[in-house]
Amino acid sequence: MMSTDCVAMILAGGQGSRLGVLTTTVAKPAVPFGGKYRIIDFALSNCVHSGIDTVGVLTQYQPLELNTYIGSGNPWDLNRNSGGVYVLPPYQKAESGEWYKGTANAIYQNMEFIDKFNPKYVLILSGDHIYKMNYSKMINFHEEKGADATVAVIQVPWEEASRFGILTADENSHITEFAEKPAEPKSNLASMGIYVFSWPVLKRYLSMDEGNPNSSNDFGKNIIPNMLSNNEALYAYGFEGYWKDVGTVQSLWEANMDIIADPPAFEIDDKDWKIFSRNPVKPPHYMAKGSKVTNSAITEGCEIYGTVRHSILFEGVTVGRGAVVEDSILFPGAVIGDNCVISKAIIGNDTVISNSCTIGDKTITDDPHKNKYCSAGISLIGGGLIISEGIKIGPEAMIKESI
Amino acid sequence: MNNTMGIILAENQEIRLNELTDVRSVAALPFGGRYRLIDFILSNMVNSGIINVGLTTMFNYSSLMDHVGSGTPWDLNRKTYGLFFLPPYIRRSNTSGVSSGSVDLLYGVLTHLRRSPQKHVLIAGGNLVCNMTFDGAMEFHRQNEADVTVIYTNLAENPDQLKRTTVYELDSENRVIGIEHNPRNPKTPYSSMDMYILERALLIDMIEEAYAKGSHDFIKDVLLTNLTSLKIYAYEHKGFVGRVDNIKSYYENSMLMLDDAIRKEIFSGPNPIYTKVKDQVPTRYGENSSVSDSLIADGCRIDGTVENSIIFRGVNVGKGSVVRNSIIMQNTIIDENCDLESVVIDKECTLRPLKRLIGQPNYPIILPKRTMI
Repeated sequence: MMSTDCVAMILAGGQGSRLGVLTTTVAKPAVPFGGKYRIIDFALSNCVHSGIDTVGVLTQYQPLELNTYIGSGNPWDLNRNSGGVYVLPPYQKAESGEWYKGTANAIYQNMEFIDKFNPKYVLILSGDHIYKMNYSKMINFHEEKGADATVAVIQVPWEEASRFGILTADENSHITEFAEKPAEPKSNLASMGIYVFSWPVLKRYLSMDEGNPNSSNDFGKNIIPNMLSNNEALYAYGFEGYWKDVGTVQSLWEANMDIIADPPAFEIDDKDWKIFSRNPVKPPHYMAKGSKVTNSAITEGCEIYGTVRHSILFEGVTVGRGAVVEDSILFPGAVIGDNCVISKAIIGNDTVISNSCTIGDKTITDDPHKNKYCSAGISLIGGGLIISEGIKIGPEAMIKESI
Repeated sequence: MNNTMGIILAENQEIRLNELTDVRSVAALPFGGRYRLIDFILSNMVNSGIINVGLTTMFNYSSLMDHVGSGTPWDLNRKTYGLFFLPPYIRRSNTSGVSSGSVDLLYGVLTHLRRSPQKHVLIAGGNLVCNMTFDGAMEFHRQNEADVTVIYTNLAENPDQLKRTTVYELDSENRVIGIEHNPRNPKTPYSSMDMYILERALLIDMIEEAYAKGSHDFIKDVLLTNLTSLKIYAYEHKGFVGRVDNIKSYYENSMLMLDDAIRKEIFSGPNPIYTKVKDQVPTRYGENSSVSDSLIADGCRIDGTVENSIIFRGVNVGKGSVVRNSIIMQNTIIDENCDLESVVIDKECTLRPLKRLIGQPNYPIILPKRTMI
């Protein structure tokens, strides 16, 4: 495939408010994942491995961290002479200037950018999914079917189907019906929010949608249903493999734990499909005398003096003497003091848990910090905080300020 | 420091680490779990603001070339200056062989020296483990209006190694009044770090003259013979210096990285040590892993026991295997129930189940690259 055949657009502007304190200062795609990655690394790495080297990243909410992280794109080999990765925030235009109103409007506002590359196809991706996918296979499928739009679908358990956009397709994968979060789903084929469009067709629909003041300018709610009702050629491309939308604290925690399951539910150690990321400049991690680590993933710059069980530690994390960390995710630079007990928690960047604290203490049932976004017993401690010595925090608490 | 250029002599003929340096330059020796020795001097130069760095080599420089690449990890892929890889200069008319000493190496890079506009040159070797900047030495050089400033470290605590270095005799002002190379009975503990600061124009003159006379060695034939005519001053570097000049010192300095204070000085100070990135996944620990007092790089899979060891990127330690006091380099696979003590295993070796290798800390067993047992 010629690389300029297809431009990928990654939707990375959402706040991801259900991740609570993890996204107060960063957009969801910039949230750390899997020990040394950010969520957006998966979409970016997939693009590069699929031979797509022109990628637009649409940012809006708290873009600073994401902009800095993407930089010139060299960690993903996307610092190219032609093409490469572009960060595309909303901008002021001659007549008007406005925020991205919806996913479709974000693409509409960047039609000039896409036109510059004159592509046959545009691939629309979400910046908040964890998966490995060869998009070139989907584009080939789109080409073979002569489709105007192709939607990637995955089979979900029937009982969960009503949480997704559900597609019905005939035996030729031709889409006949689309229902957003149907109460009584007719199939269990869920849209993954990944679309290939023939660019001239999409342009037409984006302009049409923009002319409708009542539209929410969304791919799932407007563009796809409009194309369907006009009998455009819409096809469903079946994807098999691991795919997870990490929009909630619980799903983020689960997807992380999938990496360290034995065998892993999601294997990131794949020589043929490496997930690229901006690597920290840190020495190998140090395991002190008296440390004990099992069923965990640990990366560079960590210093482990205590016990770590079934957890993921990002770069530069310290676990003090006598401390026990289990079922937890410690973001870059987190410091766990001596004799702490951390159970089923996500600890934000550079947060210091002072000595003898307990996080996820099951004996506390009425923690005032209990938060609706924290479920399944998972506690969330924000980034850059200091938790004072001896503090005890119950399960499902969200801590936003130092205590 | 942006008016100083760096020249790294990545090969030193006096240094041999048997199998480990048969396949690579000394500067390309893997060190500390994810580095090569060259990373230290390269990072030190860059952290001092030097952005014109020339790298001279002699033998087997492909692994060095592969490692430094275009210099991106050190921010040395620049339009102006950056990293210059300077392979041996062999003229068609003189195919007799490669150059044989530091003078020959420097003569080979004269064109590069002439073309660079920086006023000063910092010459350094590629076999020291230290984290330093050169601002202090440069200031010292200026204050003394020195012709040459040499950098040294006090090796009083390691008399054995002192005898394998160049030792300076100094007056009260730290002017060099005597130089001894590999002395049997060193007069002082002031051991050369093989780092020299001097004006570029002076260096060019010195090298042309020495080469014309058929001299080979920068220390013996240039510095020593000009001891009275040149103002040579010595600047002391006070931090940790790990000199890798044989297997024993390689092993000992590697193990010193397990010391909290030394490790923090080298890796966690304000100036990072950069290296080539490999996009390895985090290291996975299994159900039965047990690790103590060890450095473990990314991309490993640890299911056995590791004690007091340095484990490089992509190493597997199988169930029931025990690794003690050892250095295991990149992508080596240790299968189940192996027993290893005081071994240095080079890259990409494979140990089948139930293998037993026991060396001594002062005489570790070396397994050459890609050995399969």
